[in-house]
Formats: sequence, C-alpha cells, structure tokens
Amino acid sequence: MSTRKIGVYICYCGGNISDYVNCESVRDAIAGEEEVKVAKTTMFACSDAAQQEMIDDIQQQGLDALVVASCSPTLHLFTFRGVAERAGLNPYLYIQVNLREQCSWAHTDVPDQATEKAINLVKAGIAKARLTEPLIKTRIETVPRALVIGAGISGLRAALALSDLGLSVFVAEKSDKVGGWVAEFGRMYPHDRRGQDLIADLVREAGLRENVHIYTHAELREKSGSVGDFTVRLDVKGEPVTLSVGSIITTTGFVPYEPASGEYSYGTDGVLTLTEFKRLLDGSEGGLTYRGRPVDTVTYIYCVGSRGSSQKDTPNMYCSRYCCNAAMHASSLAHELSPAVHQFHLFRDIRTYGKYELLYQDARQKGAVFIRFDGEDPPQVEKSNGRFRIQVKDMLMAGEELDIETDLVVLATGMEPRPNQALNDVLKVPVGLDGFFKEIHPKLRPVETVIDGVFIAGTAQAPRNSAESVASSLAAVAKTAALLKKGYVELEPLIAVVDPETCTWCGECVGSCPYSAIEKISFGDKEIAEVNTSLCKGCGACVPACPQGALGVKGYTDGQIRAMIDAMMIDMVEASRG
Amino acid sequence: MDYDVLVVGGGTAGMESALTLGDMGYSVALVEKEPTIGGKMILLSKVFPTLDCASCIATPKMASTFHHPQVTTLTYTTIGGIAKTPRGTFEAKLERKATYVDFDKCTGCQKCELACTVAIPDQFNFGMVARRAAYIPFAQAVPKKAVLERYGTSPCTQACPAGIKAHGYVSLIRSGLHDEAMKLILEAVPFVGTLGRTCYAPCERACTRNELEGSVPIRTLKRYAADRYYQLHPQPEYGPPEDRHNERVAVVGAGPAGLTAAYHLARLGYPVTVFEAQEKPGGMLRLIPPFRLPTEVLERDIANVTALGVEIRTGQAVDDPSRLARQGFDAVFVATGTWKDSIPAIDGVDLEGVMGAVQFLTQVAAGNPPNVRGKTVLVAGGGRYGIALDCARTASRLGATRVVVQFRRSREELSSVEWAIEDALEEGVTIQFLRAPAKLVGVDGQLVRVESAEIRVGGRDVTGRVLPGSVGPGTESMEVDRMILAVGQDVGSAGGTSGLHTTPSHTIVIDPRTMETAIPGVFAGGDVVSGPSSVVEAIGLGSRAARCIDRFLRGQPRIRDDVDADLIAVEKSRTLTRQDHYTTLPRASRDLRPAAQRRTDFDEVELGVEEAAARQSAARCIDCGGCCECHQCISACPADAIDFGMRDQEQILEVGSVVVSTGFDLFDPVGKVQMGYGRFPNVITAMQMDRLLSPTRPYNTVLRPSDGKIPDNIAYILCTGSRDFQSDNQLCSRVCCMYTIKQAQLVMGALPLADVTIYFIDVRAFGKGFEEFYEQSKAMGVNFVKGKVAKVEQGDDGNLILQYEDISGEGKVVRTEHDLVILSVGLLPNREALSLFSGGALAPDAHHYVKETDEDLSPGQTSIEGVYVAGSASAAMDIPDTILHSGAAAALSAAYVERVKR
Repeated sequence: MSTRKIGVYICYCGGNISDYVNCESVRDAIAGEEEVKVAKTTMFACSDAAQQEMIDDIQQQGLDALVVASCSPTLHLFTFRGVAERAGLNPYLYIQVNLREQCSWAHTDVPDQATEKAINLVKAGIAKARLTEPLIKTRIETVPRALVIGAGISGLRAALALSDLGLSVFVAEKSDKVGGWVAEFGRMYPHDRRGQDLIADLVREAGLRENVHIYTHAELREKSGSVGDFTVRLDVKGEPVTLSVGSIITTTGFVPYEPASGEYSYGTDGVLTLTEFKRLLDGSEGGLTYRGRPVDTVTYIYCVGSRGSSQKDTPNMYCSRYCCNAAMHASSLAHELSPAVHQFHLFRDIRTYGKYELLYQDARQKGAVFIRFDGEDPPQVEKSNGRFRIQVKDMLMAGEELDIETDLVVLATGMEPRPNQALNDVLKVPVGLDGFFKEIHPKLRPVETVIDGVFIAGTAQAPRNSAESVASSLAAVAKTAALLKKGYVELEPLIAVVDPETCTWCGECVGSCPYSAIEKISFGDKEIAEVNTSLCKGCGACVPACPQGALGVKGYTDGQIRAMIDAMMIDMVEASRG
Repeated sequence: MDYDVLVVGGGTAGMESALTLGDMGYSVALVEKEPTIGGKMILLSKVFPTLDCASCIATPKMASTFHHPQVTTLTYTTIGGIAKTPRGTFEAKLERKATYVDFDKCTGCQKCELACTVAIPDQFNFGMVARRAAYIPFAQAVPKKAVLERYGTSPCTQACPAGIKAHGYVSLIRSGLHDEAMKLILEAVPFVGTLGRTCYAPCERACTRNELEGSVPIRTLKRYAADRYYQLHPQPEYGPPEDRHNERVAVVGAGPAGLTAAYHLARLGYPVTVFEAQEKPGGMLRLIPPFRLPTEVLERDIANVTALGVEIRTGQAVDDPSRLARQGFDAVFVATGTWKDSIPAIDGVDLEGVMGAVQFLTQVAAGNPPNVRGKTVLVAGGGRYGIALDCARTASRLGATRVVVQFRRSREELSSVEWAIEDALEEGVTIQFLRAPAKLVGVDGQLVRVESAEIRVGGRDVTGRVLPGSVGPGTESMEVDRMILAVGQDVGSAGGTSGLHTTPSHTIVIDPRTMETAIPGVFAGGDVVSGPSSVVEAIGLGSRAARCIDRFLRGQPRIRDDVDADLIAVEKSRTLTRQDHYTTLPRASRDLRPAAQRRTDFDEVELGVEEAAARQSAARCIDCGGCCECHQCISACPADAIDFGMRDQEQILEVGSVVVSTGFDLFDPVGKVQMGYGRFPNVITAMQMDRLLSPTRPYNTVLRPSDGKIPDNIAYILCTGSRDFQSDNQLCSRVCCMYTIKQAQLVMGALPLADVTIYFIDVRAFGKGFEEFYEQSKAMGVNFVKGKVAKVEQGDDGNLILQYEDISGEGKVVRTEHDLVILSVGLLPNREALSLFSGGALAPDAHHYVKETDEDLSPGQTSIEGVYVAGSASAAMDIPDTILHSGAAAALSAAYVERVKR
C-alpha cells in the first residue's frame, strides 16, 4: 500500500491515564513515526469536542487511518469508528490502543515504565493501522417477528408491546399454562392488584391480537441463523415447529429458593417458604388459619437462601431484592386476616428500597415486631409442644437473647435462576456468577446479551418484582423494535476468510467453529472451505486449526499481528543487544 | 407533526429514551434546560457496582445522543407548557434561552471563559468552586459550546440614560483591567471625566447593594477610570477611523448631546462638523463650576471627540439648520440646548440685582462675575439638576456674606442632588426646603427684600410622580441684595430653530421614533427637544441621535432605536436571595477637601480614589445580571461568535408523544440543622464528595474544606433526608447506601491511610451485584456502624463529633470524632415536572413524583395518555433501573405514536 497518513490521539482520560502515563512523552515519542501525520494529546478523546477535532483533522489533513490510545475497545471502539465514519473514513481504518486497562491502571506504581510500555503499545497500534484496509459490513434483511421464551408476566407483556409496534410475536411456554408465578398470586404490592387479574387481562388482550401466537408445552430445541434472521425449531407438544424470527426475548423467570432439609427446621410442618405462605394467605378468608387451627404468632426469618445464608454447599451470595418487600406485604395481609396475630420479623437489613419503605411502615404500624439478627449468628428454630421455639440475639437491643414461641415460621426465601441447561445450550447466552443470565453491561445495557438479537428480561436476568420485571421486558421490547423496525442489520465484517489457493479441505476448521459457519464448497476442480458471512463471529478459532494456514480473520491478519509485535519489541530487542 | 416524540430532560433517562426511540426510527426532540446534556450521571466519579468511570460510560451516551440522526438535541431550553391536541398529539411551547453565543461559530476553545470577569458559584461542582458567567459546564459537555449566563440586565446598567455598561466597568476595575474599563465606558460616551464627577448617578440608586449596606460607588469608579486613564494618556490614543463614509454630518451645538452625537458618528466613519455659537465647546458643561468639574477634565473629555477628526467651529451660530442641508451636509443634528433663563411671573423680577442662573453662571465662566462680595444672595431653586446649588456655592466663593437657597421641594424629592446639598451645607450655604419667592421688593429699582411663601408638599399622581405643591399660609420676609433665579430654562426664541416646527415653549418637534424633524435629514435632540435635563440624559439622546442618523444615511429601516433593547432588569429579590450568606462590607464614603479650605477657592471639592480603594469598592459588586456586559469575551473570541443581540425565543412543536425524564432533586441538608451542614465547613454532601473523587475533580485530590487538609478519618451519615419524617421525606432514596459504599471504596483507593466509617440504619444493597459490592467494601476495611447519628458538633480544630446510639454494641450513647463528615443525602422529586403540562394535567403521586397510573402492567404510563415518565422523575432509582424504566417508557411511547399516526 502507498504511504499512509495516520492520525494518533493519546487520551488523558481525565487523569485515569495521565496520572501514571506521561502522555506528552508518548506523543513526542511517536510523533516522528513514519506515516504519522497528526499526533496529539487530549483530555477526553471521547468528548464531543475532541471527536470534532479528529473529524476536522481527518478531513483537512486527508488522514487515511486513525489511532486513539485511550481505554478498552469495549467502551469506545464504536465511538471512534463512528468518528471515522462521520469524517468520511471507512470505520475499519480505526485502531484502538488500550492504554488504560492494559497500562495505566495496571502499573500505577511505576509511572516511568508505564510510559515506556504505553509508547510501545501505541507504536504497535500505529503498525497495525498501517496495514488496515477498508471493510464493508454485511447487511442482512431482518424478519419482523420475535420469539418470546416464557409466558410469565414479562413474556406476555412483551408480546403485547411488540404487537403494539406492529411486530409479530410467538410466545413459547414450557408448561401447560401461561401466566407464570403471577398467575397464582392474589393481592400484590404495591398497588394491591391481584396477580390473577393482571394475567387474565394480558391473556385476554393477547387473544385479540392476530399477530400474537402463544404455544404452551413448547420448548426451544434449535436456533440457527443470526441476528435479524434466526430460524428456530420448537418442540410443541411433541411436534416440531419451525419459525423464522428476527430476535428472541428470553423471559424464563425464576424459581424460589428451596431451603435445605432442616434449614431453620424446613421440612417440619409449620415452616413455610415465603411462596408457600403467600399461597396460604391468598387462599385464606375470615382469619389466618393453618391446617384448620387459628394462627396466633407468625415469625419471619429473612435472607433465607440469600446473602450467603444457606445450608447448601454453594450458598447464593446475592440479595434477592424482592423478599423484604414481599414479606412486609405478607405481614400486612396476615394482619388484615387476623388483626390479633402476633408477627415477629427476624431480619439482617430491611431493604424496602424506595417507595417500598411504605410497606415497612405499614407492617410496623400494624404491630409487627422487628428483630435484627447477626448473619453470623442466625436464629435457632426448634419444634416444641406443637409450636416452634426460636432463639435469637436482638442486635437492636445490644444483643439481648430472645425466646419466641410461634405457630408458623416463614422463611423469606429468595429467587434462583430457573435451571434449564437445555435452553442455555441452544441460546448460548452466558450466565453470571449468580447463575442469572448475564447482560452486556449491568448499568447501561441490561437487556442485551453478547449474542446479538437475543435479549433477556424479567427475573431471568436478576431477582426483581413483577412491576420491575414488566419494565425490563418493555425495555427489551424497545431494543427488539430498534433492531427489527429498521428492516436490516449490519454485521461486523471482521470475520474469517479462506484463501482458496491454500485450502485443501481437510475439514479441521469445521470442527473448530462454534457457530457452524464453515461449509464445504467446490472451487474449480477442488473442494475448499467457505465461511458463511452471516454466521461467522470472527472469533478466530478456525485460524490455528488450519494445518495449511489458509484461514485468517479480517482486521486481525497475521501481517498485522506480526507488525505489531515487531513494533512493540524492536526497542527492547535493540536495548538487549546493548 | 414536527417530531414523533418530545423527551423532556437530557439526563440518563432522557438520553436512553431518546436513543432507543431514535434507534426504532422515530424522530425525537430532546429538550434540556442546562447548556449540556448528561444530567447528574456525568458529574459522578464512578458508578456502583461496576466502578465504571462515570465519564467513560456517560460521555459516549451523550455523544451518540447528540449525533443520532433521528434525535435533535435542544439544550438551554425550557418548556413553557404542553397541551394535548384533539388529534391526540401534543403541542409544546419551547423557550429557547439565548446563549449569546453563535453555536455555528463557537469552537469550544474556552477563551471567553478565561476572559470573563464575573465569577459565579459552579453548580456543576455544587458550589465548591466558581465558574465564569461565560462558560462551558465541564470538559465533556455536549455540545461543547459556551453560553453567557445572563439573568437580565443589571439594575445599574439598566438605569443609565447614556447606555453605559456600569456593571461591566465595575467588574473590569475589580479585575484590575482599568484600561479596559475606560474603553468600555468610551464605547458609550466621550464625557467620562465629566460624568464621573457630575452625574447624578441613577446607577447607584438602582444598585441592589443599597438594600444591604449601601450601593457600590459606581460614579466614583467611573471617575477613577477616567482620572487614571487621562493621567496616562493626556491625549487620546486613537485618531480618526480609517474607513470613512462619504456622507457629511453637521451638528449644531457643542454641548453634551451635540458632541456625543458627533463622537459616535465620527467613530462610525462620518466626517462631522460641529457649529457652536459660544467661544468654547462644551455647552452647558462650561457653566458647571470648576470646583465640581475642573476645566481641564472637560477639555480632555472633548479631546475624545476632536481626536476622531471632528471639526468644531466655535463662535458660529446657526440660525437656520436646514440651510446646512443645502450646503452639502447629508444630515444635520440640532442640539442647541436651553440657554434662556425662565423668569417666573412674580412681582419684582425686573428689579436691579435679580438675574437668571444661566446668566449668572455664564458671566462667571467668562471670567466676569457679578459682584456679590459682602452681599446677601438668595437663590430660588427649581430643582432636580442642582444648578441653584452651583450658583449658591459660586456666590459663596465670590465673597457673598450670606447665601440662601430656597427650594420649592422637600429634601427627599431632591435626592438627585443630595451630594451637592450636603456639600453646600458644609460650605455654609443656608438651604430652605418647601419655600419659594412670592414677591420681590425693591427700593429705587434695586432689590432689597424678598417675601417668600411656604409650599405644601404636593401629592403624587397614580404614576408616583410628585405633583406641584400649593402655596401655604406661612410667609416670610428676608433682606436680600442679590437674587438668582434658577427655576428653569427654556429654548428661547433667539435662534437655531428657524424653519423647524416648534412647540409654544420653542422646543423642536421631532418624530420620537427617528428623532427626525419635519425636514428630511434634519434631526434634533437634547434639551432643545426635551427641555432642560441632566447631563447624562442629554448624552444619552446624543448617542441615540447618532444611531438614528446612521440608519438614515445607510438607508436602513427606521425602526425604533434599539439601544434600550437591553434585557429587562434583574429582580433585586432574586439577587438578594442569592446573597444571603455574604458578609457585609460598607460603602466607602466620598473623600472631600475640608469645607473651610474649599470655600475660599474654585479647586475641585471631591477627591478621587486610588487603585486599591477602587478595586475594593468594585469588589462589593454582587453581579446582579450574571454577565456584566464588560464585553471581554467579544474581544477574546477568535471565532467572532459572541452575540449580545440574541434573545430568548419561543418555539412551538407538535409531537406525537411526550417522555418526561426530568430527574430528581437532591435533598438540601441545610434544613437539617443538627447535621451541621452550612454551619461546619467540614460537613459536606455526598454529591460534593463525588465531585472531589471524580476525574474532573475541582481540587485534584480529596481535601476537607476548612483547612485543605487531607482527611484521614471520614464518616458517612446515611439516610440524611430520607426515611425521615422530620425532613418530610418518609421514602427511602434507594441509591444512597450504594453510592456511599462506592465512595468508601474510592476513598480507600485515593487515601489509603484514611479510615472510613458508615453510620447506617439498614444497608440496602438490593440490586444485581450490590450485595457482593457491599461485602467487598467490608473486606476492604470499611467500618459499618449500625446507628442513626443524632447530632454533629464541631471541635476546635474543625473536626466533628458525632453522637449516636451504639445499637449493636453496648446500646449506649456514644460520641466519636471524625475529620470529615459526608451526608449521604437523599433524592427528592423534581417538582418542575408537574408544571410541564397546562392546567396541572400531569398527576403527581402522594410524594410529588410523576404518578405512574399502571405500574403493574405499563410502568411509565402517566395520567395523560401519550405521556410517559422515565427514570427518577417517577421515583428515586439507580442507573440500571433508570435504563430499564426508560426503555419501558420508550416502548410505550412508540406504541402510542403508532396509534396517533394511524
């Protein structure tokens, strides 16, 4: 390629980089590099003003490659590709050098050496930029239909919202009935509406929509294709159903934590999980009774199966978010049924966040007694004389030991991800340490996953209550609509490519590809491998598998990698030679 | 429909809603009241529980919002009202605040910011540091464009009849920019030295600081600027302008109005010739006695005019101005003034020994004063312009034994000449208020006695103007040798107005919009049109005439002159509210020569001030208008982007749906007195702490405010203003526990030696990854103490003593000491959201958040169909929940747009 004109920008990241790396030295060190036309430092490369400056430089200086040495590409690769694009430069002529995560943050104690390393990293980036070439994205027409997995309140509400936006929806529900947990509930907090009624409303409305199809006894078996154009095969009541959809929203929900046998005497009659107690409340009229006997005292124990509290081998470390609120609400419902009932709440922290604080107030005003225990020293529950005796140290009373006699023990159990390995194997959406589906970014992209076109919502992503689940499912609808209403998606061109001259079709690559993106084709008088551009993710797994060296990944060519290593190492090599 | 969706508020929720809707293909108008989008998130250090740098994740959101092809971002814009139309769409009235910066030209270089002379507490750093009135909020602002913050015109500037930027030059003097101050005044008037001495200073009476401990001595500061400059520059630094027009202008009368008009016209490039009947230029200014206005000061002021190439032909009276028009002048300005004494119709005014004030002062100025030595002199004063006092003080200096001034008005009504009254009294002049001569008695044609009558205070008419008083019963007789009548002046029939249409009192009739007389090209102004006025008013009319004549000569539309198209004056109450906690600083008194000394000579009575005193006085200015109009930004801007002519504009948009994402307010802990905020410097809010920890931190490290010490024992008090009936907020604010834990972790990173204690009721780590984050902070050594802090007291060294009940320990009341206390303040509803819609149509919930009417199935749905609420406008919530909630609002809004479009 002819002589390049490269612009290099070194970002201070407002001190994140410049506190440890001398950015001015880095700039000075690379300003004289061959083909570097512009070398600048900037306080925040991502700021609008700095972006505009780059655009001006590209246009006025006629730059044909752009290097920004800043943070991780996870954060800003697309930002700066966008800059290139707005300046009229092919976005793949942009190279990001990670000076923050890979340099300044890693070497806070040795600023001089961090600076030296930064110089080498930027030189490598420049070397790579020299060998960039314009790449064109693959455009795929999208299918204006979505698949929703799970017909709980999140899934049903998502289906209606998609339908509102003119998208057709298929809902696949594994069980024989729709509505999930909410369909079982009576009065729910905070608006005192009945779960059954909410679900009935949604189901009635779905029945009126021509573009909503709900399958029960349905499970996802296979998924092929890619974002915007998936082919999915469902098993519906034993029959295969094949659908073409543009995206998938996963709202598979949760299961309640099931205490270990003997955990707070669980398994003994009268020790109930919160779910079981809610069922008891919803089924009660004219007084709170258990097995026909009136209940005089209810004692709640919080954080069962949450916050590291469990008698199981791998306790859940997370807080389940909804249980405090739900226990408060249950307490108030119990009081309404039997105003004379005594209620004790043994808690660690009351997490009635936000407006749910009012539930806590309400429970207290109705006479519930709150006792704080230390998570390290949990209450002891034992059965005695047909009732339960609970011993607890009250941390609100300087650790005073209390004995509570109670008829019922309610374990405020948390949420766990619904186990469904078969589905996970098909979707390939990663799960986090807590077992819930993992989002791309917990703050900014909570419903998107690393599998483009597959979204997560409701309690499949994290514990939350019904209204919050609905909010997240609507958010997933918005992202789905953003994907499908445009009519097309563009796929990254950074994918594998086969050199037909070198390839001898041994088939090694096929086995290495996790996306089944490699097929055999005829090429002249021989057979070679071909990469399906819409399936390939550019992961590169096939490249080392090829004994002929016939495979490469665009944007990460062997030539580029070698040039980067050379650029990075040359000083060190020369230095070692003395 | 102009846009499918209007999103109100450009914080996290607004950006997310706008981006999502834009991605779906809907056109979006995003309105933000601040000069930048980004909301509160961009101000944070890092965010929980991922410890992402807030700048790093907010900045790309801001940039992609701003650059999204479907999203139009309108910053510095507020909503005047939104109403639903019968079609189901919405009509929104946008109020686009003037930025005074042309965004197409502004490059965000911040030179205006550096040049700006006004400091304002920086709201983006929660008052910990100051910013300028011309400013870009912060480095990552989007758009990165400067705005000039103008609350209105400062009252002093607004009050000046001559259009002098009073606030501007005060601010420049405060900043040590003395030449610039002088030049700013010269932009408006040539008579800087004169006004610095003789102006009745309406600016000072308008000064807001009067409501505190006395106005800023603005007139003295002007004099300071002039004296200093004139000493350095005995002659003007400039010559005639290079670019000249061909059209020639004649000015008749070299008084303040005429010379000011000549000055401005010459600056605009017109060759100007001034015709003056007297032997010297200056008009009435020449009659001001030198003890008030030294002749050399006046001469130097006039040199400001002549240096521009203005030719003054003295001793040339012009009887018929229209003749000049025929003599090759393209425009003529008549400003011949009022040179005839008005003589009241009372008995004896024709006696020997009675003369008019103009006549008296003219003779004095000509070096030919009437003999008053050893005489009793009575001056009858009309009023406002102080000419009577000039006569009296002159007579006193000329050797009169007794000088009495009678004013028809009360002293209160004569506040415009209060200084001169004080000075005259000191000099031994007797002043009688509410008294006027009724009869002059003579012997052999020579005045010997004056009988005067008491005047009753007149009432006021509906506009507050004082009505003329009536003659009361009390008469008095006084032996008098000389009487000077200073009761008024008029144009007289002597000349200068022939050929022009005049009123019965001989003033010239002009078109008030154009200042043009009935004869095309002939203009008139100053006292010859208005009757007698003050110097500064005459100068103001001269400036106006110059603009009118310029427009006439340039063939521009003859609209009403726009000098006074200033912004409306700032309400004093607004400024005073802001000044609550400022210390008082009394006004410096005028510095005068001793009365005994000054009675014997004509030297200047009032002394000037030195630089230090001037700067100290100027520093008392409290910047009522925000921007002071010192115009330094104009000269600093390399892109010529500053435009003071910009005005707020209204824009009406029709949109299909509205998303309300107006965010939250932070609890102000000042009201929670026992926590010490606002009383003890080392008690700060968590938002301030977040600023101290952020990459764009104001002090570049964590310092405690009282002494700049690096704190090593930091306390956080959770639930300040939340879960608290006393603060009228019973709700939990949902984010405080987690941001506090975040800050604790950051503090441990930034200050490894510091101890951090968090006093809590419950630790609410309820969201995804939160509990793990909490556990991590405990593992790092953060000390969590269960206990609600009841009281914060301050020790001698600025340290703070916290009192709380040690619930988990021995249950006793404990006092602990910390060197920095951070109040983890709660979130409150932003009640502005509720007034967005006309007639209060947007219903609030019980806690004044925007009510969600169907939270179970349609979170974000409000009481108005088609209007959706996103984020913390509906309830306190963290960023992840805000993102989800905004997605929901976007989905519902899109569905509504689909219905409306159908």
